[in-house]
Amino acid sequence: MNPSLKLFLILFLSLELTFTNKLWVNIIVITVCLVLLIHYHFRWQQFCWLIFIPLFPAIAIFTTIVLFSPGHSLFYGLVLFSRLYMYVSLGTIFTFTTNPLALARSLEQNCHLPSKYAYGVLAALNLIPKMKQAVTTIYIAGQMRGVTLHWWSPTLYFKAILVALQWSDQLAQAMESHGFVEGQARTRTINIPITARDWVITSTLIILIQIIVIALP
Amino acid sequence: MAKHQLHLRDIILLALIGIIFGVIYFAAGFIYNGLTILLTPIGYGPMANDLTMGIWCMAGPLAGFLIRIPGAAFLGEFFGAVVEMLLGDQWGAVNLISGTVQGLGAELGFTFTFYRTYNWLTLLISSLTLTLVTFGWDWFRNGYSHFSGQMLITMLIARFISVFVFSGIIVKLIANMLQRAHLIKQ
Repeated sequence: MNPSLKLFLILFLSLELTFTNKLWVNIIVITVCLVLLIHYHFRWQQFCWLIFIPLFPAIAIFTTIVLFSPGHSLFYGLVLFSRLYMYVSLGTIFTFTTNPLALARSLEQNCHLPSKYAYGVLAALNLIPKMKQAVTTIYIAGQMRGVTLHWWSPTLYFKAILVALQWSDQLAQAMESHGFVEGQARTRTINIPITARDWVITSTLIILIQIIVIALP
Repeated sequence: MAKHQLHLRDIILLALIGIIFGVIYFAAGFIYNGLTILLTPIGYGPMANDLTMGIWCMAGPLAGFLIRIPGAAFLGEFFGAVVEMLLGDQWGAVNLISGTVQGLGAELGFTFTFYRTYNWLTLLISSLTLTLVTFGWDWFRNGYSHFSGQMLITMLIARFISVFVFSGIIVKLIANMLQRAHLIKQ
């Protein structure tokens, strides 16, 4: 399915279900996502993680609404509990089935996102492992001088930003020296089309969800 | 070419700032779960979200201070969310919505000072707008309308303190260091 349309669909569903307090639609969305994930060979360790991540916030909201709020509403407690799982299932199905490069290409070609945004962010994304390493290096270098840099200490961020300033300069120069020009028309090696099938799937799913939202509590 | 426009270098820098905060937040994630477990038995579980809100919103105001162009604060916060989503963070696409909300909150603080003054007042206003905008979103997302009035006021105050400490005081300290190193272009 086209990555941009998939992103739109998921954002649309998340927003709509945030503003409608319905229980069944959450459960149905979660179930469909889980079935799809099984279909895409999601590993069982990842399933455990999927259940664990929203567990604390979900239990916190549930108990607060059911036991401590003025209404003591079990229904709304369940709605909010399932809503967090709905967010996480939708998020997982998107990230698990979408390649960042394909998403950047699709946003550039189908949604006319300026290429400097699409490729700038993508270029930075590849530096994540190096950035992790840089932060660790800064931390250890501090410890060698007997200084512990906690996550709240401004020095840690300052030093990391120094690294970022240098890298962003170098990366931008590298891209420009390889012929990247902001705002210039580009040729495409790979076309990402939006097919009739994509439109049919997206609109059918949106209509189906509307019916479920209206019909079930 | 227009002066007040983000160029490739700024965009990469904003995304890298998002990554830095993403990397460091990851280490702070246990605080959120710890607070939730502590606060749930007394009926204030969702307040963990308010108490840690300032931590998740630091990238926006810092980006706004570093790159003094309209939209920088918004994009700094938003790219953080994009990076988290592409990294395979479980909250995924919903991160984009919260990133947009937090980015708007951070950006408004700079809009209200017309992108001219960059001092404590800017950070105070930015903390206020961040608090109100993110609280408004959580009102729907986390069902705050079901909570008692007293609890809501406590949570709002807790959120403001958190935002002011992390996205205000700590961001200002980092910005001061960058200023002393002459890294902020006027």
